[in-house]
Amino acid sequence: MNGASAGVIQGGWEFVVAAYVASAVILLGYAFSVFWRYRRARSRRDTAL
Amino acid sequence: MGKGVWPFVMAGLGLALLAWGSTWGLAFAPREAYMGEVQRIMYVHVPTAWNAMLVLTFAFACALVSLLRGGWRWDARLEAAIEAGVVLSGLVCIQGSIWARPTWGVWWDWDPRLTTTAVLLFAFGGILALRQFVDDPVKRAVWSSVAVVIAYVDVPLVYFSVRWWNSLHQLQSTPETVSRAFHWPLRINAFGVLFLLIGLVELRARLAFLRREAESAPPPPVRVAEALGGVR
Repeated sequence: MNGASAGVIQGGWEFVVAAYVASAVILLGYAFSVFWRYRRARSRRDTAL
Repeated sequence: MGKGVWPFVMAGLGLALLAWGSTWGLAFAPREAYMGEVQRIMYVHVPTAWNAMLVLTFAFACALVSLLRGGWRWDARLEAAIEAGVVLSGLVCIQGSIWARPTWGVWWDWDPRLTTTAVLLFAFGGILALRQFVDDPVKRAVWSSVAVVIAYVDVPLVYFSVRWWNSLHQLQSTPETVSRAFHWPLRINAFGVLFLLIGLVELRARLAFLRREAESAPPPPVRVAEALGGVR
């Protein structure tokens, strides 16, 4: 026995970090993409007027 | 504060709540008895899943209003909600896959919950692609609204799949099924994703509306020099 209880997941921080990093990258990336596309569309509209 | 600023404020508030809830979930919430540290993925996975279904329900409402009453603003909201729904559904699949590896031993399984979620992602992703390919704005609005009404059938299937069929995925996480110690980070992140989503959907709808205005705008006057092949 190495002290680990049966049926209990040991460790796993690497999966936790991966999930949070993936969430941050996708949510921030999408937010940045929306802000950037919106600003560009507004400046195009202002130029056209 | 100008009226146009509120989506930025909502998005900023959402990000701040997400930072707070995630710090709580990672550093201060207790480890779960059986899943150990891996359970901390729940604090981002479950709020993402809730809000994915919520924004796709909003897309369904926009599609109905767009079909019954018309109006380009509803079509713009529809486009925004579909895009946000696709992003969140994709993120749910990635987070779920990362959680599945240490708990189930596989990255993916064709289990009812996972399969219906994948169908959701591809169905709404397909509708988003459809909108890119249709040039006529009226046809684009009607066809995508009808497609959303049909594809929305999958949202209740995703929700109830864990109850109706024998699924590897655990039952829905609710305040009744989650210990009190885990409530706060889960709720804070749920509101964080919600506020971020509200801000982004509003901005994305404004963007869609600006593009729609540009489509209907008369073509710019042709300059003589350009028409004769001269330098701009």
